[in-house]
Amino acid sequence: MQKTKFPAVVATFIVCFAFWVLLTWSFTAQELIAGAVVSLAVALFAARFFIHEKAFWFLNPLKFFSGLFYWVCIFPVELIKANVDMAKRCFGGCKNINPGIVKVPVDLKSEYGQAALANSITLTPGTITMEVTEQDGQPYYYIHWIDVTKPSGKEAGDAIKGTLEKGLRRVWE
Amino acid sequence: MTVRIIADVLIAIGAIFALAGTIGILKMPDTYSRMQASTCIATLGMLGAMLGALLIAIFVKADAGAAVKVAVIALLILVTNPLGSHAIAKGAYKAGIRPEKKMEVDDLGRDLYE
Repeated sequence: MQKTKFPAVVATFIVCFAFWVLLTWSFTAQELIAGAVVSLAVALFAARFFIHEKAFWFLNPLKFFSGLFYWVCIFPVELIKANVDMAKRCFGGCKNINPGIVKVPVDLKSEYGQAALANSITLTPGTITMEVTEQDGQPYYYIHWIDVTKPSGKEAGDAIKGTLEKGLRRVWE
Repeated sequence: MTVRIIADVLIAIGAIFALAGTIGILKMPDTYSRMQASTCIATLGMLGAMLGALLIAIFVKADAGAAVKVAVIALLILVTNPLGSHAIAKGAYKAGIRPEKKMEVDDLGRDLYE
């Protein structure tokens, strides 16, 4: 079990307090103070589960803007492409599928990057990350793919997550 | 008025993708393919409806609180949906659910559940 670190507590506090303000959306002193107290208590208990690496990576402007670029430009385009493809298959009577589970290598070192990539893959219709393993220091994902067109390994990895991984590597490497 | 039309079009697009996902859930042959189709509803189906609602909340109703709540709902669905999908798929595979028609490639079964 990891020890509670001060930057992690601060970052967790900021996230909790931002959510409190967004959900209540009232700016009287009473509500803000109550929110701050509750957020601080939650942050003290939950910070060690919530943050495992550098807490303030986004203060580096280059990383912040490449992260913003990833979630505003790269990911939505992939999402819409995959959605249109999936909708075509569904309206076509669900016959045009060839499901299978492929194992693909991942070239991201950071835990945040791996989690973001796995969630992006799952969020794209047509691919679901089912298991994450590590062999000899190289992480692998087992991905359920609705239409297996490439053999397992690097080729399938490029077809599923080539663009996403390139965008994420700029954020967390 | 223009904003209202754009919002309605966005909601209609969301509804079309939700319909596609529903057809997929009903007609796909096995558990995992059905889950794949259901992702359509939780991404573009939801995003279309939420963007439309956001436009209406900002420009037609002029209600900042409602707009922020709509944005938070969309964000929370986008963050939590992959966690649920991942856990359900892994749990189903561990519980021994396999497609009737054998999968062409099944690395997970080969490596971990022999």
